[in-house]
Amino acid sequence: MNMVNLTDELEAKADTSAPKIRAQKVNVHYSSNHALKDINLDIYPNEVTALIGPSGCGKSTFLRCLNRMNDTIDICKVEGRITLDGQNINDKKIDVVELRARVGMVFQKPNPFPKSIYDNVAYGPRIHGIAQNKQELDDIVWSSLKKAGLWNEVHDRLDASGTSLSGGQQQRLCIARTIAIEPEVILMDEPCSALDPIATAIIEELIEDLKNRYAIVIVTHSMQQAARISQKTAFFHLGKLLEHGDTTTIFTNPVHEKTKDYITGRYG
Amino acid sequence: MPNSHIVSSFDEDLQKLRDKITDMAELVADQFSDAECALTTKDLKLAAQVKEKDNYVDQMEQEIEKTAIEMIAIRSPMADDLREIISAIKISNALERIGDYAKNLSKRVSVLSEVGDYTVSSSIISQMISIINVMNEDVIDAYIHKSPEKAISVWTRDLAVDNLYNSLFRELLTYMMENPEYITAATHLLFVAKNVERAGDHITNIAELIYYIVEGTPLEMVRPKGDNSSETNVEFSG
Repeated sequence: MNMVNLTDELEAKADTSAPKIRAQKVNVHYSSNHALKDINLDIYPNEVTALIGPSGCGKSTFLRCLNRMNDTIDICKVEGRITLDGQNINDKKIDVVELRARVGMVFQKPNPFPKSIYDNVAYGPRIHGIAQNKQELDDIVWSSLKKAGLWNEVHDRLDASGTSLSGGQQQRLCIARTIAIEPEVILMDEPCSALDPIATAIIEELIEDLKNRYAIVIVTHSMQQAARISQKTAFFHLGKLLEHGDTTTIFTNPVHEKTKDYITGRYG
Repeated sequence: MPNSHIVSSFDEDLQKLRDKITDMAELVADQFSDAECALTTKDLKLAAQVKEKDNYVDQMEQEIEKTAIEMIAIRSPMADDLREIISAIKISNALERIGDYAKNLSKRVSVLSEVGDYTVSSSIISQMISIINVMNEDVIDAYIHKSPEKAISVWTRDLAVDNLYNSLFRELLTYMMENPEYITAATHLLFVAKNVERAGDHITNIAELIYYIVEGTPLEMVRPKGDNSSETNVEFSG
């Protein structure tokens, strides 16, 4: 019986053909501003989906819909249906704290807590009660730092303040903090825009590795970064999703004229 | 016409690359028609000029490659820009090969001017080269105007060159069997004809690249191939 269950579980994990997140007819208004218009987009597991488009096109707004970060904005109204594994995330029965644990987020500017490196990563597992004892918490902190590619640089100073790290290290600390609570989806809002090319390359290498375990959605203004790290790309323009599909197709032969103008750096 | 790039120097760089391709294509077209002229008039001086000018063709290819590589490094081109820059490298490679064939034709002018009469065969070769010259001009036109229709028109004409090559191949084999003294001239003429036929193939490749630059997908039509000389066998009548 156990074997059957295990097989089922493995098959469920291996099923990458079903969307992890499905957005259907999503509309967002900020008061009278219609920020997102009828967005339909599927996010698949074990893939990086890049959201691209000019400033103000709605890509960050859409990203924030996926873990209900827009709930914190009074004038923001979200309509339409967004499901995580088939479950409507805007359903009143959904616990938003639990949702945000399943759909983690990394922001543009690294924002470690003014606490030690250890406590930054241990914070989530502690409040969600993931670890049963100190040993389990240590294991989570260490493995999260390893998965985030930061362990080798900080293992001998886990008590040092998170804010004492370099920008790139701080961002990886934030990624470690996100993955410590075992999310299923990671949202990244321009995670490299404040980093130098070396720190950016390290984060990109990390994203490549993380996608084997999570679905990743990344907002980026760097066309080259979107082309390098994503498997799917979605192009937003004036609140509409104009085109989405395989990244190689979008960057070599986009269908929509506006997509072509944007990615080739032309006046649209 | 596509919109201009926000960074205007990118447009300037692309235009310079296009101009270089056009200049090279025009030089190669001139080389081919000069080689034909040298062949038909047995003009050794003109043949020598064609051989000498091939160095310019090689230099232009290197220059286009260098420009394209620099643009890829500096501009990180995407979509149609990327296709155009990559295709520029491939087009310059094809043009360089066509230039080599013109040089090879010229190399044979000397020996062909010393051997016997080959009027009938050279008439067919002249017909082949005339078609190639028009294809050369039209493929430049298709490139400048980024016209898939014009590119397809050039692409389909290669069949006529192949058919002429096949008939010439049979004719020369027959001549050689009838008169062994004709073997030297016929062998050289076979190489000349093969070079012309191959030039047609490369122009066809350029036409395909023009189509790809504009449409973003390869030309799906089945390429008309008429060269069946590799399977031709002419039996001895006696």
